[in-house]
Amino acid sequence: MKKLFLTALILGATTLFAQVDKPVEMPYVDYPMVKGDHDEVAQQYCLICHSWGYILNQGKKSRPYWKGTVQKMVNEFKAPISKEDQQTITNYLVKHYGYETTSAH
Amino acid sequence: MKHLNRRHFLGAGLLLGASTLIGKELPAKPIAIPQEYVPPIIAFPEKKPMVAISDRPPLLKSAKGRELFTQPITPNDEFFVRWHLPDIPTFVDLSTFRLEVKGEVHTPLSLSVDDLKSKFEPTEITAVLQCGGNSRKYYKNVGPATHGVQWDHGAMGCAVWKGVRLKDLLEHAGVKESARWVGLNGLEKPAMEETPDFFREMAIAEALEDQILVAYSMNGEDLPYLNGFPLRLVIPGHFADSWVKMLTEITVLDRYQKSFFMDVAYTVPDNDCECVVSGSDFEYKRKPIASMKVKSVIGYPSSDTVIKKGSKVKVAGVAFDQGKGIKEVMISLDGGKSWSAAKLAAENGKYSFRMWTYEWDAKIKGDFSIMARAINRIGNIQPQVDEIGWNAGGYQYNAVDVVNVKIV
Ligand code: HEC
Repeated sequence: MKKLFLTALILGATTLFAQVDKPVEMPYVDYPMVKGDHDEVAQQYCLICHSWGYILNQGKKSRPYWKGTVQKMVNEFKAPISKEDQQTITNYLVKHYGYETTSAH
Repeated sequence: MKHLNRRHFLGAGLLLGASTLIGKELPAKPIAIPQEYVPPIIAFPEKKPMVAISDRPPLLKSAKGRELFTQPITPNDEFFVRWHLPDIPTFVDLSTFRLEVKGEVHTPLSLSVDDLKSKFEPTEITAVLQCGGNSRKYYKNVGPATHGVQWDHGAMGCAVWKGVRLKDLLEHAGVKESARWVGLNGLEKPAMEETPDFFREMAIAEALEDQILVAYSMNGEDLPYLNGFPLRLVIPGHFADSWVKMLTEITVLDRYQKSFFMDVAYTVPDNDCECVVSGSDFEYKRKPIASMKVKSVIGYPSSDTVIKKGSKVKVAGVAFDQGKGIKEVMISLDGGKSWSAAKLAAENGKYSFRMWTYEWDAKIKGDFSIMARAINRIGNIQPQVDEIGWNAGGYQYNAVDVVNVKIV
């Protein structure tokens, strides 16, 4: 997955940037993702449109928050994630980036 | 922080992340990540090393924290960065780059940056650029932490913008009778075609106001790539969301076009207080955020400043509003019991940071809570921390700023 993005980044760089004599080089940051509990599913989908920094920056969130956020990615932003994978990702997020609760927060 | 810089500034290409907080050594406790993740500090093009909340799309803030707000103009290489979609060209070729003005106009225009510079009257304005979600993290003092990037005060800055009046462009193209809205779009694109574009709209009457610019220069230089090179919209007094970067399309419309980033993101409850009972989620009627709210931010000291008993502390910071002008900034050193006026620096136009200072004799050892509270010329005053109305998106936070310090 990571490789794929870097390739995309390099391919994107085709014309000349006016202010400097060569393409601007965007650094790549390897935001840490907790291993286990099917982190590969989160890796597969949650890095398509933005970095993992988006997730880390939210702070710890409740199950309803993560469930709603994953749904928002699918419904509003059209992330192509099956119901089953949504569930897997939500569980992963709640376990490592959140907490269990029944109320909205 | 300094030692990080060299490690992160590899200049080109791949930077392996700063942080291996997670993944390698899990702490024994069942807590997998610290309560607050601290992003790495990394050099980006034309920027000093910045706190990289995200690299893709780039979300960056100065590594200086509050200290950035002890000066009236924010340097380009420390100015915050906030994009929404990941596909941003790494180059803009000025020989082919064009800004289109089209839609409900008599003569559609296709303009190069040179055309803008040579064919229209240049205009300059000093104005604060502030993300609608700036200071969002402090909402957790009055309710649950809200959705969105948990910004401290780092998502704002003040710059001298130079460019062409949007009004001049629209008049040059000749707006038709049917014109009601102006749609704005730039080169920032989603990774997947189906994801909504970052499309913004403003009412035609607003678009024709004098102070709105299509800017090609920031603090006397070309716009930095990460701040929207070569053109961005400047809407003084307004939150940043419609200051479209890498602006390429201005489309005059005869009716409002619904879009995610206008109607769902960057909205507040559509009621007088623009707030809801804290904790209630997005189930309310919304309206887009627009005018900024009166606000002051303490630049010095910060909570990690060591203050020696007997020293003279020059408390300093910035204040701004939607363009009515700051009337007064009040300082409290006893947690809000008593207030005295700070000294205001000369005004630098209606839309800029107004600097203020307050001399404080640090006479007694102990813990102190410094507070700053601004009021503008039409009587808008910053709410107290526990008075601010909560909204689920965490937008337009402007409560009294607080810094807790220790005199030793
Ligand atoms: C199809 C594209 C896409 C995919 C795939 C995607 N997101 Fe997003 N996500 C977005 C967009 C667009 C935003 C809003 C960007 C902005 O405003 O900066 C966003 C924002 C977020 C935010 C910020 C808070 C918010 O509600 O806006 C979080 C957290 C987030 N995404 C988590 C995830 C997770 C977890 C996944 C994997 C299940 C994921 N995203 C997959 C497009 C996507």
